[in-house]
Amino acid sequence: MTSSDRRSFLKGAAGAAAAFAFQPDLSATPRSLSAPLRVGLIGAGRQGRKIMGELGKFEDVTLAAVCDSDDRRLSGAKRRAPQATLYSEHKAMLESEGQLDAVFIATPTHQHRSLCEDALDAGKHVYCEAPLAHTLEDAKAIARAARAASGKFQTGMASRSNPVYSLARSFVRTGAIRDTLSLRSQFKKKTSWRTPTSDPARDKFLNWRLDPSISLGLVGEVGTHHFDALHWFTGQYPTSVRGTGEILAWKDGREVADTVHCEFQFPGGVRSQWEASLGTSFEGEYSLLAGTMGTVKLAGTHAWMFKEADATTFEWEVYATRQQFHQDEGIILIAGATELAAQGKLKEGIGLPHPPLYYAMENFLVAVGEDSDPCCSAEEGLRAAAVAIRAAEAIRTGTEVAIPEKDFSLE
Amino acid sequence: MLVRLALHAMGTRFELVLEGDEDGPGAEAYLRAAGEVALAEVEQVDARLSLFRRDSLLSHIQRNAAEQPVSVDPETFALFELCAQVCEATEGSFDPTIAPLMRAYLLHDETATTPLLTLEQARECVGWKKRVQLLADRRIAFSAPGTALDLGAIAKGHALDLAIEVLRDAGITRALMHGGTSTVAAIGHPLGREGWPIALGAGPNAPRVLLRDDCLAVSAPGARSVQHEGRRVDHVLDPREGLPVQGALVAATLSRSAAEADAWSTALLVNADPKGLPPHMESLIGMTDQEGERVPTHWFHRPRITCTGLSGFCDIPQSRQATPLQTV
Repeated sequence: MTSSDRRSFLKGAAGAAAAFAFQPDLSATPRSLSAPLRVGLIGAGRQGRKIMGELGKFEDVTLAAVCDSDDRRLSGAKRRAPQATLYSEHKAMLESEGQLDAVFIATPTHQHRSLCEDALDAGKHVYCEAPLAHTLEDAKAIARAARAASGKFQTGMASRSNPVYSLARSFVRTGAIRDTLSLRSQFKKKTSWRTPTSDPARDKFLNWRLDPSISLGLVGEVGTHHFDALHWFTGQYPTSVRGTGEILAWKDGREVADTVHCEFQFPGGVRSQWEASLGTSFEGEYSLLAGTMGTVKLAGTHAWMFKEADATTFEWEVYATRQQFHQDEGIILIAGATELAAQGKLKEGIGLPHPPLYYAMENFLVAVGEDSDPCCSAEEGLRAAAVAIRAAEAIRTGTEVAIPEKDFSLE
Repeated sequence: MLVRLALHAMGTRFELVLEGDEDGPGAEAYLRAAGEVALAEVEQVDARLSLFRRDSLLSHIQRNAAEQPVSVDPETFALFELCAQVCEATEGSFDPTIAPLMRAYLLHDETATTPLLTLEQARECVGWKKRVQLLADRRIAFSAPGTALDLGAIAKGHALDLAIEVLRDAGITRALMHGGTSTVAAIGHPLGREGWPIALGAGPNAPRVLLRDDCLAVSAPGARSVQHEGRRVDHVLDPREGLPVQGALVAATLSRSAAEADAWSTALLVNADPKGLPPHMESLIGMTDQEGERVPTHWFHRPRITCTGLSGFCDIPQSRQATPLQTV
């Protein structure tokens, strides 16, 4: 680091401290929208149900329509949203529901393209779950459609709207961990990833994640979120990837790997390790950014900073709440920490007051209501999907695969 | 074929046994997938109703319901309606508004939103009828700030009810599932047996229940306790008096609904008077008699609880058994 770099770093670090000290804890109270919104949901499965749950927290938002091609899921949606009109076909919903402002899409990944294109064509604002697509062609088509459309488009990757990630990022971006050395993410959950059904036709529909012709597997369904977070923190995407995928835990005839390891090469020599397994739940899901002066750990509703012994001490550290992880002590990152400490309520600020999905949805709904830009665009969705698609290729071919710049462009 | 799954949730362990008629990898994968969906339901309930998670729906309700009504999902609203019903039928022996009192006795390590109150202040906050309103469009409101809900006496049962529903929807015909070994729910019966045999207590002659499409809950005060002002306070409090329970040693209830069984077992521990017990339920309460002997007593309704002996049942609080219910 040159002396000029150091000066700008120190200035930045002071800025980070100020952000820590004065960021108000607005994250607990649902934000009022400027005007009531009517929204629709396409896909009432696992993720759709979570979206319905979080939508209930927004007083000014009405879930007016729900679409799912599966009758049983639709009847479950009827129970959860009795006010909503039900549709088994999305075109019928888009044609009949002229008053819908926005549409949430939470269907199997391979269906996203046509649904996004049709919803944008119908003049709706669109929130689409990640990954955007399982092919580059589809992901680019969605990004092009979003760019051409008059409505807003948000990719459902929750890191960029997560208040505690935002705070952690302000530290990383202002040099609190100094030079980044390595990145690491993992997803561990003991589950067969299978949905039970005795009907073969329904099995193909419900268990699309286990169909290699339409699913990127773990690297797509889970990894995309991590790849986007790391990009948002570092400002970089990897240039190549190597990976392996094995079926180690669930030898039930499946073809999609249950245990995956990838190594991504970033510009400047930094590497990122990504690991996922459906055979163990140890340590769950998190990302780490390790630097010469500290390491940041991100885990959904929580984030920590582990400082090296020779790192600068911030003034606010006297207020900090810490947590021990074996031999390491992490400072728990809390939005509005100083304000809460002054009220003697610092511990009440640990962990976000809503799941990360809530903040992503809030960000989208506010963007629609106030005509602002959502924080995770279709193009960000394309880039994260492109990384996942190349990682899946590396796993499939057993070779190192380049991630060319052209993957990230709309052409 | 038997498949066993388990999950750590709600501060305890849920366990599930599924039995299928067929053998083979396909049958095993199917049973496991069904069990996972059921356990995912338990995870969802934990995410919604945990008092200790800042991002739970319950914490959201605690933060906002005194200022404006909060909309909730149909499952949670149905649970609140059941809370109101059991609270009324037990004349307040079961009452989820006990949370501030639990906190005042330091029975909660920490809560997200409840301020630290004196016992006197906390007692003022207790009372579902005066504090909680269930409104149209599945909304809940608190009539005054300081109100907080602790669903610990019913949430495990609620989670089991939803999990059992998911299993039935998936076509499962034989299953047994428990939450923390104190609440258990059964689908059908094991192959070749009339029901799932459960022992109430550790003794060799403890009362037994054959569960078949039934739910069973057992409550005992001694399972967990804290020191408060120099004396031991068990984790079950009497919401009406604001004091630790002094009544029964142990209470067991049977119902078609695990949530109902769960709530009633706590209520009968607080007040061993089951006059409001719905006719479809059964109960067994362990108390001390006039000589101070520990005896099972108070059989209510037609007991499916079969007694080959009675030892073990009343020893639950003293034995500090981590697993008061045992499959036998």
